Amino acid sequence: MAALLELKNVKKIYDMGRDIQVEALKGVSFSIEEGSYTAIMGHSGSGKSTLLQIMGCLDRATSGDIIIKGTAVKDMNDFQLAKFRNKTIGFVFQSFNLIGNLTAIENVELPMIYAGVPRAERRKRAMELLKLVGLEEPEERAFHRPNQLSGGQQQRVAIARALANDPAVILADEPTGNLATNQWRRILDIFKRLNESGKTIIIVTHDPLVGQEATRIITLEDGAIIKDERIR
Amino acid sequence: MEILLEAFRSLGKDKLRTFLSMLGIVIGVIAVIVAIAIGAGTTANVTARISSLGSNVIIITPGFTGGFGGRAAVALTSVLQETDVQNIQQMAPDVADVTPILQKSFNVIYQATNTVVTVVGAYPDTFSILDLPLQSGRLLNQNDENSDANVAVIGNTIATTLFGNEDPVGQTVYVSTGSFQVPLTIVGELQQTGSKLTFNPDNMLIIPYTTAAAKLIQLNGGVSQIIASAKSAQTALNAVDEINNILYMRLQNTNQYRVISQNQILSTVSQTTDVLTLLLASIAAISMVVGGIGIMNIMLVSVTERTKEIGVKMAMGATRRRIMVEFLVESMFITIVAGAIGVGLSFLIAAIVTYLASGLGLTVIITWPSIVLSFGVSVAIGLFFGLYPAYLASKKSPVEALRYE
Repeated sequence: MAALLELKNVKKIYDMGRDIQVEALKGVSFSIEEGSYTAIMGHSGSGKSTLLQIMGCLDRATSGDIIIKGTAVKDMNDFQLAKFRNKTIGFVFQSFNLIGNLTAIENVELPMIYAGVPRAERRKRAMELLKLVGLEEPEERAFHRPNQLSGGQQQRVAIARALANDPAVILADEPTGNLATNQWRRILDIFKRLNESGKTIIIVTHDPLVGQEATRIITLEDGAIIKDERIR
Repeated sequence: MEILLEAFRSLGKDKLRTFLSMLGIVIGVIAVIVAIAIGAGTTANVTARISSLGSNVIIITPGFTGGFGGRAAVALTSVLQETDVQNIQQMAPDVADVTPILQKSFNVIYQATNTVVTVVGAYPDTFSILDLPLQSGRLLNQNDENSDANVAVIGNTIATTLFGNEDPVGQTVYVSTGSFQVPLTIVGELQQTGSKLTFNPDNMLIIPYTTAAAKLIQLNGGVSQIIASAKSAQTALNAVDEINNILYMRLQNTNQYRVISQNQILSTVSQTTDVLTLLLASIAAISMVVGGIGIMNIMLVSVTERTKEIGVKMAMGATRRRIMVEFLVESMFITIVAGAIGVGLSFLIAAIVTYLASGLGLTVIITWPSIVLSFGVSVAIGLFFGLYPAYLASKKSPVEALRYE
């Protein structure tokens, strides 16, 4: 399979001031194939969140190369990065991070607004996505505000939002961390289904049960990869 | 379009805060428009009043000593002479009529009433030059002059003071000089006219010039003021120049006399009211700036509160420019709506001011430029004071913004 995302000796050093520097990533290299389902695991402070931010083009590496879909991230300016995130990466966060002022469907439309998708088209697609992620009574719930939805419902809306511009990869940061067990299962099932239909998924988690869902587990410790195993 | 809708939503979320941040601009806009409206109204009022004098009238008064080092300016009496009147009559081609006035304040007594009145000695043509209409009785005539008659025409206000509802015509009043009293028979009452340049005929007792000169106001050939009329409104300024030249020839000092025409007063008054209007509007404009600072404050708070939202939007692919525009639209939305409300309310306030101040003769005229100006300034304030918070929002690092709780 072709490499969708490739990291070559990526380092990230945080300058904490007063000459204190923290090396969060100490030269990480791996590649992610298209259509794969990867879990990046590690304890807190292992550097997995930093890695997610760098893969998600939210932050820049101190050194090393990140190549996504054949494009070197470090050559892009802020504007190009924003456009790139919009088209290529779908984020799912632990705390859902839906915009409180907007209804569920408007949240799903948001990335499409940034992409310039016409109103009627994006509303239609947003509704399809809400149905795809299995939001109950989508015709009604779509017009609820996030605070009127349960945690599991919010996370499904967030996944629909991540899928809005049909991104090359879904980056999920502890997506089940804030959910009760029954919801937790449903969210993981959605990721599994998405992966089966060909979507590339990367989940960052500290939870081995979540990690077991993936076909490959990359384990980080202290800013370096200590284990990279394919479990399926 | 979505940006506008979103701005509306996020402003609608905290209505009280939005309302309060609008309030400063609303008040500022009202203050600016109403201040300018009061200025415009006052100018129109004063202009109308001065114009009622007739544009041909020229009044020559003695100058003032310069008020200097704490000394009050004092009118120079007995500077103007009867010879000046003759000179003007003969040598100023653009002057139609010219007549001297004697003027002094006396105690005037009618039965038990005793009041201070300006007694004016004037020739009969004064009535036509100043356009003083009669209410009852008759005006003074040449016979009164020839016989030094003890007769008087009384101003409207002073007639009420002395006589109440009684008809003053035919009554006798006594003018007290301190050492003796001069009886005067009222032969006519003037209509109410309001102030005429340096005169207020409503508070005057007008007697024949010769009577005044002989019995009450002895200035030894000096006169209190000189009243002239130009041949036409167009030649009024020429007439003023001619009079100035004639007086300068004799007195050699421009501080000793003043030649006042309606045009000069109009321009002085409009300059004065313009300055006052500008001052009022500037003070009002400061309140708009204060309102702008309030908006900036609120926007800064809003940017901080919504740090996480900014991070999420950036992760979803919002460019920095887009984030900036979103916040800018919000602050401008506040000021545009506030400006519109302010313009609307200023009409209401103007109506209330007009109603409350109608007794004071205060007119309020809302002018288009003041509306355009204050609305434009409020929009500009939204842009200016919204720019920095919006810039801060757009400069946030996505990672740090997302981490913000």
